[in-house]
Amino acid sequence: MSTFSTPEFRRRAFLAGLGALSTSALVTACGGTTASTGAGSTTPVDGGNITFLIQGYDTGWVSSKTSISSYEGNLWGQITDKLVYVNEKGELSPWVAESWEELNGAKDFVIHLKSGVTFSDGTPVDAAAVVANLNAWAKGDSTRGVSKVGLFPSSNFVSAEATDATTVKVSFSSPALGFIATLAYHGCILLSPKTLALPVEAQADLSQEIGSGPFVVKSWKQGDSYVLEKRKDYNWGPAALGHTGPARLDTITYKVIKDTSVRTSTVVSGQADVAFNVEPQEIESLKAQGFTVGTPRYLGFVDGFQVNTQAFPTNDIAVRQAIQHGIDRDEILKTVYTSDWNAATTFIQGNVPEAGEFSDSFKFDADKANKILDDAGWTKGADDYRSKDGKTLEFTLTPNPYVPSTKAEDELIAQQLKKVGIKVNLKVVDVAGYAAVQASKPPLFQTSRSFVDVGTVAGVLTSQNKGEDWFGLGTSDQKLNDLSTAIATASDRASREKVADELQQYVLEQGYFIPLNQLVQRLYLISPKIKDVQYNGLAYANFYTAWISQ
Amino acid sequence: MTSDYKRFALTRAGQAVVVVLLAYVLTFLVISVLPGDAITNTLRDPQHGLSEEDIQRIVAFYGLDQPVIVQLLLSLGRFLTGELGFSLQSNLPVSRIVGDALPSTLTLATSALVIAVVFAVVIAYGAQYLPGKWAAIVRSIPSFFLSVPNFVIGLVLIEFFAFRLHSFTTTDPNSPVATLFAAITLAIPVSAPLAEVLIASLDHESRQEYALVARSRGLTEATLFAKHLVKPSALPSVAMVALIVGELLGGSVITETIFGRDGIGTVVQKAVTGEDQPVLQAVVSLSAVVFVAVNLVADLASPLLDPRVKLREKVAA
Amino acid sequence: MTATLGYPQLRNVGTASKRLTAGLPPITVILSFAVVLLVILWSLVPWLFTSYSPVTGDTASKLAAPSAQHWFGTDYLGRDQFARVVYGTASSVTSALVAVLIGLVIGSLIGLASGFRGGWLDSVLGRFVDVLLAIPGFLLAVVIVSSLGFQTINAAIATGVSAVAVFARLMRAEVMRVRSATYVEASYLEGGNRLHALLGHILPNAYRSVLVLAVLQFGTSILIIASLAFLGYGDPPPASDWGLLVASGKTYVTAPWLVYAPALVIVGTVLSVNRISRWLRKAK
Repeated sequence: MSTFSTPEFRRRAFLAGLGALSTSALVTACGGTTASTGAGSTTPVDGGNITFLIQGYDTGWVSSKTSISSYEGNLWGQITDKLVYVNEKGELSPWVAESWEELNGAKDFVIHLKSGVTFSDGTPVDAAAVVANLNAWAKGDSTRGVSKVGLFPSSNFVSAEATDATTVKVSFSSPALGFIATLAYHGCILLSPKTLALPVEAQADLSQEIGSGPFVVKSWKQGDSYVLEKRKDYNWGPAALGHTGPARLDTITYKVIKDTSVRTSTVVSGQADVAFNVEPQEIESLKAQGFTVGTPRYLGFVDGFQVNTQAFPTNDIAVRQAIQHGIDRDEILKTVYTSDWNAATTFIQGNVPEAGEFSDSFKFDADKANKILDDAGWTKGADDYRSKDGKTLEFTLTPNPYVPSTKAEDELIAQQLKKVGIKVNLKVVDVAGYAAVQASKPPLFQTSRSFVDVGTVAGVLTSQNKGEDWFGLGTSDQKLNDLSTAIATASDRASREKVADELQQYVLEQGYFIPLNQLVQRLYLISPKIKDVQYNGLAYANFYTAWISQ
Repeated sequence: MTSDYKRFALTRAGQAVVVVLLAYVLTFLVISVLPGDAITNTLRDPQHGLSEEDIQRIVAFYGLDQPVIVQLLLSLGRFLTGELGFSLQSNLPVSRIVGDALPSTLTLATSALVIAVVFAVVIAYGAQYLPGKWAAIVRSIPSFFLSVPNFVIGLVLIEFFAFRLHSFTTTDPNSPVATLFAAITLAIPVSAPLAEVLIASLDHESRQEYALVARSRGLTEATLFAKHLVKPSALPSVAMVALIVGELLGGSVITETIFGRDGIGTVVQKAVTGEDQPVLQAVVSLSAVVFVAVNLVADLASPLLDPRVKLREKVAA
Repeated sequence: MTATLGYPQLRNVGTASKRLTAGLPPITVILSFAVVLLVILWSLVPWLFTSYSPVTGDTASKLAAPSAQHWFGTDYLGRDQFARVVYGTASSVTSALVAVLIGLVIGSLIGLASGFRGGWLDSVLGRFVDVLLAIPGFLLAVVIVSSLGFQTINAAIATGVSAVAVFARLMRAEVMRVRSATYVEASYLEGGNRLHALLGHILPNAYRSVLVLAVLQFGTSILIIASLAFLGYGDPPPASDWGLLVASGKTYVTAPWLVYAPALVIVGTVLSVNRISRWLRKAK
């Protein structure tokens, strides 16, 4: 037998072959770059691309909707401008509106526009264009299926007219203290009148959305990647950002990666620059590795549940109050979130000036919750769950896919409410399924909505003036109707603050809204070489001023 | 071609068509049990921007307000003419959605198949020609491959090769290296049955008389092995290819989800969460068509490759 | 000196140690049986193996690494991961058993009827089996679960349905094989009726291969159900199906034990099941 066919040789040949294969695999494997750790410069340099990883842009690009998705809002913010800019502290400053006057006890406003502002197709952002936008925000157009902006002072909006090419006059039937602030709201994006006039199906096409922002859409593949490139003639950035010329970056590339841990790990390994909504539990270790994690807090509602007063079992006020006191929010903050999150004191965020201290209305007190339910006739069964008239006290909770960690949060809530005898089932859906859940008006629906001015909450509390009617009350709760109207039309800030206090007290005691904690809805994991990312009052990261240091 | 064969071919082809039709009907009946009102949930969702006219048009098109049997006949009729309907979520034609996703899945499936064959051949070689202890270890590899869920394989490969070694980046799932690793993930469970069949048939063949004669004539083991691969001992694998196509299609759902690829598997995922019945129906029916077609080709080819196979048995099976 | 090298002598050479273990299966098979037994016990009496609850945890000790108190560490709500795996066995493994039973019972009935009766029934049932084979098992399972609802029991039914075809084919082949054997003809001629022939001859001969297939399908079903749970097509939280544990665990990159513990349990279980199946096949 020749030496080439001995068992020993064959084994060596096999191993050699395997070794060759694995070595070549490893050689191809060891590729890629590691982030350079040289000291970066501090003067901004132009150019470059940022890769921004996001769960997905699944809710579509129809611009005329009651609210803009937290995801799509990132892209909208780069390709459109607003009339007014609001910073993280809630301070307003000029943007496309150069200056404004509040007349007649806040019933009339005059807005002076900056000249020379154009949409990306060259048409001017003049008074006529602004009037078209204002009408769309305030009224929508039901004939075309276009909705108005949900959190806008629409109830007393009368008219907007262009008095000349750069001046707009807006009139309200009663004081609209929140009007100018709302012009900074992320739903009030300035779009070309051509876009506004399109039927709803045509608006679903991203290429038809013409804005005046520092970036324009260069190309995209739905569900995969979206590329924005800078507008070289952009010259009207908000002064508050310290830069008014064209953006510094050449392009921003949004890439869809559904999995949270993959997004995080991709940025950590240096293969992308920004990841949206990473897991709160990872924040500490990410910061320790030198990454920036932006956790901006916006003005608006806290993370919590809007309660449907018409659905079982929350049509019983005892149940609502029991849930209010049966949830241990402290435990949630400690377990699911980090020190970047604050406890809620009411149902609006702490940085809204009118937010008051109403924690007593929802303080954790399991005994009190048990007593309320006992008194209302909900008796505990053998399985520790309560029932009345043969029906078990249970409902289904769907974690909000727009907010990080709500799955863990809801699991914990289910455990806590079990101790009070309430059965909570969980149903996990993604963004597409969540819209269907909302349409079915469940007993508890987890919200995440921002607003700039507290007066606009009137647009959601009842069904007055085509309101969103969050609690299913319609107009049946007269006290709530009155308070809503009062807050939208208050004539001065002092009296409005008093109304706001009363409103918060009432809503919380009635168990219409169940607060959880102060919402940090958008988390940005940012690579250390990206500098000068800024956050506005709506908690969006803005890359207009951002640049890449080498 | 003998007339026997012609008869056999026609019968098999006829059976294939019947199977495809039945698969369509079965899928339709299962999907139409879906709870929830497709009209309210998906069509009327304001985010999709469908106007009232659009909604009425879709309802009429699918006969959504008609009894199930009418919907089925409408749907089946369209399927036979190649018209696959419109997605309830995006209102795009299903054929376009599937067409856009197909190249990615085809690339993945073909690469996975090639890699699986390579794995199987290497394992079979090792099992035959390595000395005792090593051969036993190699022989247990297929069983191990069948024990690891493919989502674990995918996660481990990504963790190690994407995040640690930077061989590829998850932001570009269609790059060659990323595709390679996705293909390996898909190939591992597929290579196992292939390897086992090859090992078994090689075991069988190597005991045959002619193998001993060949060895005594001085042919090296490697040449013998190569000759065997082309022989009838490879025949069971031809029938297996059809089964493997099914495994590839099914496994792609998870593999594409994990690697972020935009193929048919991702389309299925979205369709399930969005309760998009036309898309689900189309994908499942098309998979059945592919499977039946491959099976048919395999059945028609096997008598030609190995005359030992009786035609009548094949028809009755 | 010539020792007699007859066959009996040769047979006993070097078998001293073998005689001790004669009749016992190889060590890996014994280990495999032990693992499968352990897993079945986990699914039947989980409380015997852990005192922790799989549903409520001590939130202060969340995301702790494996230690003497928590063998598999704790998860994001402070729940003991070992307890979660053990309690999750019931749905992961029992549902696989249900799937195999569905496939076995329905598939065998179809195969028996098909092979025994022949003729038009065989053709019709044959087409039905072809249809089940034509739709890729996983896809079929996904569609069935999305119709019936996202619960592990539905995943089990779905997996079982796609297993029917495999059992049907096998049973039919077995029946055909035995049918043509002469002794069956003989017993029929003797006056025994067909059913007697069926029960007396076909089943005892077929059961071995069916058993091997059943064990193999048990392993496959565990994998399919875990994959379905991974995609979210199983019971919702706070259920702890193995696949669901991997899916929710992978979000916490700093706590890899949340993924590796259930993953290793899955691999270990299926590996053992496959080992038993291979041993059964050889022992035929």
